[in-house]
Amino acid sequence: MASLIPNLEPNPDTSPEFQRKKRRKTEKRPGSFDRNQGNQRIKRWQTEREQQIYSTKLIEALRRSRRNSSSAAGKEVRGTADRVLAISAKGTTRWSRAILTSGLSAGAKMRKHKKANINANRRLRKPKINKEKRKLPVFKRKLMVLGRLVPGCRKLSFSNLLEETSDYIAALEMQVRAMTAITEYLAGSSGGELQPPADRLGSNVNS
Amino acid sequence: MSSRRSRSRQSDVSRITDHQITDLISKLQQLIPELRGRRSDEVSASKVLQETCNYIRSLHREVDDLSDRLSQLLASTDTDSAQAAIIRSLLM
Repeated sequence: MASLIPNLEPNPDTSPEFQRKKRRKTEKRPGSFDRNQGNQRIKRWQTEREQQIYSTKLIEALRRSRRNSSSAAGKEVRGTADRVLAISAKGTTRWSRAILTSGLSAGAKMRKHKKANINANRRLRKPKINKEKRKLPVFKRKLMVLGRLVPGCRKLSFSNLLEETSDYIAALEMQVRAMTAITEYLAGSSGGELQPPADRLGSNVNS
Repeated sequence: MSSRRSRSRQSDVSRITDHQITDLISKLQQLIPELRGRRSDEVSASKVLQETCNYIRSLHREVDDLSDRLSQLLASTDTDSAQAAIIRSLLM
């Protein structure tokens, strides 16, 4: 089975990446709703291969960030983990794009500015819409909470938001699996009995 | 539910049918471990949303905890050789 073989070289003809590249043109439309593509994406997050790729990239990114700044606070690790996760999504989903652009100050400022406005409008808007009292306040509120939890999805339509949420949850689960494996490995080996065989990688240790 | 079509915050042109809504909600329900086994007519859409939010929040918390642990572990081990070994072992 392909997932047991640690082959990280993408095989252009048979890998799902090749098919995704062909499909990416249709995925860019905001209203596009193709459940098939969504299901394929979600299944990808659940494969062993994807987790291996993510683990490798995460470790490399952590190594790079530790070289640049000597402190590896939990928050930094979290940020790195999220960014690598977003990169693994290959730009096909809104939440991944939002994570990658969230570092820009323009995005953060806009969010603060908009927050004040939304709260002002909500009170005025509520009494107007009276028809379905039981649905709007409760259901729509929960929808908005969900929109806030998934990065970059505050103003999405109902169906797009649910699509993004499904993908986001699958990706988060993979992130937890990968980080748990890495953490357990590190914790198990911190006793010092780990002896990496001397080879080309060993030469990097003292740089 | 039919009134939702006119009232939803649509900025796109696509018309959302009730069938699509229930489809998406039940698909979401299958992803949430708590609600996975239940029949979709037993669980209200509102509950699915609520549990989704809770689940995402708990996943976020887990990632935060793992990040903290990872940062501590990385600080205390010889990172380069450990990382090389991790990569090798994870790929085997």
